[in-house]
Amino acid sequence: MRFQDAARDARTVVYAGIQADALVARMAALLDDATPSQRVLARAIMNGETVEPEPWRVAFPRLFGRAAGSGDVSVERSEAILAASLEVANRGDQVRSQFRGAIVEAVTERLLARRVPAEALRHERRILFDGVTAEIHPYDVTVEVPGAAEAYDCKWGARGISSDVLHQLDDARAHAAEEGERLLPVLVVFDARRSCEVRLARQTAPRTGTRLVSIETLDRLAGRRAVAPA
Amino acid sequence: MTSLPVLAERIVDAIGRLVALAEAVDDEWTYIHDLEAVWVARLRAVAADRVSEAADSTIEPAIDQLVVESGLITDPHRAIDWLSTLPQATLVAFGEEAW
Repeated sequence: MRFQDAARDARTVVYAGIQADALVARMAALLDDATPSQRVLARAIMNGETVEPEPWRVAFPRLFGRAAGSGDVSVERSEAILAASLEVANRGDQVRSQFRGAIVEAVTERLLARRVPAEALRHERRILFDGVTAEIHPYDVTVEVPGAAEAYDCKWGARGISSDVLHQLDDARAHAAEEGERLLPVLVVFDARRSCEVRLARQTAPRTGTRLVSIETLDRLAGRRAVAPA
Repeated sequence: MTSLPVLAERIVDAIGRLVALAEAVDDEWTYIHDLEAVWVARLRAVAADRVSEAADSTIEPAIDQLVVESGLITDPHRAIDWLSTLPQATLVAFGEEAW
């Protein structure tokens, strides 16, 4: 089993530009330490239509109003997430979709960086196995540690979970095992596990060897327990 | 003060409108209805547990705003996203776990 940079075609060049956008890094830094409820706020705004801030403050009173003052919620962080999410929403449908994907990948990388040495953390990598035709699509994030490799596919929403995705992840795990290697495939979805399970329920592709990380359990990527809702 | 079950039903109605919009995506018909079923059940379960509780004064405006926001959705694909997002945001407004 070996890892390789993905070929740089036109799509990857354009997408690399989005991944490198400062807004992606800013949003990922904010979501890294956000509460689960603040992550839902970001998801709602970046899925939504309203690009004015006040309606969102009304819709999420526990993150902005006097109710926020009684808990662990940082109103300052909520405001920063609101502002950054609105910037993404303002980019227009096509671009916002690409930004959302890049943000999930960037958050995943940031959380993994708390647990994994920086030199082992890579993105947009293919995994090659002897005698096996390489998959076309690279993995969004990889942890390249001998004997304990991990491959991540990141999705904005549960609807992104498809048979192809599940097969690719499980095939990688199986091929690694055939070579006596250990590879943990992980599906990271910036959506509630309940929605993911609905999506998975009608999939026949293998999934038992693939770990699912959803919006409420993102902190597990960093090796820490999910925090209580706030 | 409006009760939580009443507010939850406003969201259930909004979910119903999103489902009607999302049904235009033919190959996601089953997923759409499965999503509706599990999230409506979750919202009603939360509401039933807090049936005698009057909603905090910030909750009703929050729910009304979420209904307005979901009503702005006109794209069937975006409606599918909102079928998952709207219940999560509602549960946050209720002070519940969003899942």
